[in-house]
Amino acid sequence: MILQNVTDRNKRKEEEYYLASQWTLMRRKFKKHKLAMISLWVLGFLYFVALFGNFIAPYNLVAYNSKIINAPPTKIHLFHEGKYEGPFVYGIRMERDPVTKRKMYIENKDEIYKIKWFTRGSEYKLFGLIKSDIHLFGVDEGGVVLLMGADSMGRDLFSRMVLGSQVSLTVPFAGTIISFVLGIIIGGIAGYLGGAVDTAISRVIEVLSALPTIPLWMALSASIPPDIPVVRVYLYITIIVSFISWTGLARIVRGKFISLRKEDYIMAAQIAGVSNWKIILKHMVPGFMSYLIVSLTLGIPGMIIGETSMSFLGLGIRSPATSWGVLLQEAQEITSIAMHPWKLIPLFAVIITVLAFNFIGDGLRDAADPYK
Amino acid sequence: MRDYILKRILMFIPTVLLMSVIVFFIIQLPPGDYITSYVSRMSAEGEVFTAQDIANLREQYGLDRPWYIQYFKWMKNIITEGDFGYSFAYSRPVWTVIMSRLPLTVIITLIIMIFTYVVSLPIGLYSALHQYSVGDFIFTGIGFLGLATPNFLLAIILMFASFKLTGDPLIGLFSEEILREGLNISNIGSFLKHLIIPIFVIGTGNTCGVIRTIRAQMLDEITRQYVLTARAKGVSERTIIYKYCLRAALNPVVSGLAGSLSSLFSGSTISAIVMNMAILGPVLYEALKTQDMYLAGTILLTQGFLVVVGTLLSDIVLAWLDPRIRYAERSS
Amino acid sequence: MDGKDTIVQVNNLHINIKMDEGILTAVRGVSFHIDRGETLGLVGESGCGKSLTCKAILAINEQKCSTSGEILFNSDNGVVDILKLPPKGSEIRNIRGKQISMIFQEPMVCFSPLYTIGNQINECTRLHITKDKKKSREISIEMMKKVGIANAEKRYDQYPHEFSGGMLQRALIAMALVCNPKLLIADEPTTALDVTIQAQILELIKELQKELKMSVLFVTHDLGTVARMCDRVAVMYLGKIVETGPVEEIYLNPKHPYTIGLIGSVHKIGSKRKERLYSIDGTVPLALNLPAGCGFYDRCNCRIEGVCNVKEPKAVAVGPDHFVSCHAVGQKTCEEGHGIE
Repeated sequence: MILQNVTDRNKRKEEEYYLASQWTLMRRKFKKHKLAMISLWVLGFLYFVALFGNFIAPYNLVAYNSKIINAPPTKIHLFHEGKYEGPFVYGIRMERDPVTKRKMYIENKDEIYKIKWFTRGSEYKLFGLIKSDIHLFGVDEGGVVLLMGADSMGRDLFSRMVLGSQVSLTVPFAGTIISFVLGIIIGGIAGYLGGAVDTAISRVIEVLSALPTIPLWMALSASIPPDIPVVRVYLYITIIVSFISWTGLARIVRGKFISLRKEDYIMAAQIAGVSNWKIILKHMVPGFMSYLIVSLTLGIPGMIIGETSMSFLGLGIRSPATSWGVLLQEAQEITSIAMHPWKLIPLFAVIITVLAFNFIGDGLRDAADPYK
Repeated sequence: MRDYILKRILMFIPTVLLMSVIVFFIIQLPPGDYITSYVSRMSAEGEVFTAQDIANLREQYGLDRPWYIQYFKWMKNIITEGDFGYSFAYSRPVWTVIMSRLPLTVIITLIIMIFTYVVSLPIGLYSALHQYSVGDFIFTGIGFLGLATPNFLLAIILMFASFKLTGDPLIGLFSEEILREGLNISNIGSFLKHLIIPIFVIGTGNTCGVIRTIRAQMLDEITRQYVLTARAKGVSERTIIYKYCLRAALNPVVSGLAGSLSSLFSGSTISAIVMNMAILGPVLYEALKTQDMYLAGTILLTQGFLVVVGTLLSDIVLAWLDPRIRYAERSS
Repeated sequence: MDGKDTIVQVNNLHINIKMDEGILTAVRGVSFHIDRGETLGLVGESGCGKSLTCKAILAINEQKCSTSGEILFNSDNGVVDILKLPPKGSEIRNIRGKQISMIFQEPMVCFSPLYTIGNQINECTRLHITKDKKKSREISIEMMKKVGIANAEKRYDQYPHEFSGGMLQRALIAMALVCNPKLLIADEPTTALDVTIQAQILELIKELQKELKMSVLFVTHDLGTVARMCDRVAVMYLGKIVETGPVEEIYLNPKHPYTIGLIGSVHKIGSKRKERLYSIDGTVPLALNLPAGCGFYDRCNCRIEGVCNVKEPKAVAVGPDHFVSCHAVGQKTCEEGHGIE
């Protein structure tokens, strides 16, 4: 009895489609989620800018100029009196409005500052390792290029945004990793061992989750000593931010462990003599890994808002370091926003980043769902 | 059912005790204490303190003992006399400070909670039943935006918008009228107007979360086998949605009640600071900055306590809603 | 309708499902009929379209299934075409649960965990028989006793998670039969149960059928059950019915290569111990972008090239009430192609 198959190629393609591994399937489904894919690109761009921040920003964190306090974004021109000159800015002069006595910034059409690429500016260390003083763009002495205006101390908001993103984008990430590790370990122990250990850990988790997050954060942030190096402040903030979310993760992990513990395939492994650690790592964890990843991704926005809130209140990142939350301190007063609306720009950066993570998390969740 | 409730209540007590320990520990973490910040503030104004002065002040306020002793003293006072300590900054017992703000805090929180569920349940239901419709997209979109914007900034934007549109930024909860005359029927309208922004700002986060949860759960329930079976019996679609699907979908919503209470306290804190609302949040902020230990500790403890009570209540409601939970407790 | 005694007549039923990868032609022109009081078995492998066909009779398929054809039912109000009734309207709801009932494979998930069994059985009673609370409760409890649920009064107020699998299937049967329907559709009701319970449930269905003078559409992939329960059999493959006939005819005298393969692959009492069980080569293909011709072509030992892969076979009579859809019946390839005794 010889069996004649359908054309072999078709069959193999069908098989490939249906026998794809879990991760390939997830990747395929994820790509269908348009918003998630766009968000991935957006985030990629933001993190790229943050990575090369010192290079991209024309000014560093401490540069300030009292002559351009609260200056609006400088307009970039291409034509001067009809002739094409390449991108440039005019000089800025401060004047007082005769009626309201408020400061106004007028363009001084006599001074032309061409925007130069790869200029030399203040020194910095790329990635904290390589010394350089080349910046992506800048203008000569005497001129300023303020893509997003200046703040109340005459500092370029664009540079501070870019440099601030380095903190605002990495603290949640680092915090997530810490939460992840803590959550899995503690949750796993509680779920797997059960009994008194489980009860004790569950009580602690319950207490920590009952305490409202922001008050708790405020309390913990207040305990950061005032005069320690910036890097350490950063470290403490990260730990504080991850402090709350590990409980959520631990609870999930514990729940999954408890339900998986009763599964037959775990019992089979135990009978076969597999060690506890191996059971946990090889058999249980892959079962809910996708669920964990989704929870993590969806938890990052909370951390971003947390760090932003803390810095906004003055309890987080301290100068000379900056983050988007610190930048938003200037947007507190209504009058401030009314007169200098560009100070709200960091808000949009926060919103976009949070939205992006939310969409990606949603996309991951849809991709990981086996029933759709 | 009764056993279940009893068990929960019994577990309640150790949880609260544990909470008090953790809270107290965190409160006293900041280096130095009230005396330190008091001294530095007074010194900035020109007062001079000798080391002996400082030591005396410490002893006077009982701040010279190790933290666990302070904790025990605090606990003892709470349990035996209902005395929550003394607020250094306000020079009054902590409880009076809190009581001046607590009722309003609870009222506002309850109002926002009710608003949240009243709005989000119908929207979530609609979204699930009309998946991928225009309405669904709009609500989902607003939902995402609401989740993404930090509360306090939403507050600023809304106050700004209100200022531009009506000339009244609606700062604080009470207009000058109410402050002068007290709350009565005629100016309750003003109170409600002032409530709009806080409700919006503090409530949106939760509302969006509940909408998404209900939508996801309903979509899940509609494809269940028992829905198919019910349909095969001749049950009307309406009955299927309300009797079977919605009740099942409420499960995670009820579970999340306590969590939403917690996040309400959380969200209201910063927003209150920005919007100048006379609730507990700003008091906590000040207390933390000045290391007014007992005040900060008690506020945290109160909020945590209310959340634990909320958890207890929501667990009971959940057991009533879902018979499997009562059964599981009985058999385990 | 064919005969006076016919309860249900399905004519040329087509069900297509829209998927990302294309259109799945799940049911491709199925026709059969069920008479009063008889049991028709619907046999086929997983994925051949049996469940979809059954659900179409009650019009409870999902939105993404597009159905065409005719399903004529001899209802209380005369003959109706179920496919023409509005799927959410009151007419079809008057048929569901009352004149046509269905029981499913996994009783555990057929009940909502939030309500008592009694509440859910009674829902049927109150919808179709009487709205009186006391009377309907009595009727429901009576039915529970009839299906063999001990302590029915107490069990009425219990929840699904307090019942065992067999008990739940009895409860499901009670729920389906409490309104004395004309037709019971049983979609693999015993597949998920223990063997001993299986036997009990099958006996129960047979008894009730006799008592209530009911027709049964019995869907299964177990040939032993078919032999025990059914008067007639329809064999389904890849969305089409390939052979129908009285049960003894089919078992003793199968004509379609697929049916022959099925019968050949089952244990028979008295066969020699050392003989290997026959199995049909290959697997059921996915009903997506099917090639022209007979669906069984690739796995068939009797196939005629140039004929079977070009034209769809039509049903021809090969005996009294015995129909087969096959080009090769009676041809030379058919005689020599079978490798089984």
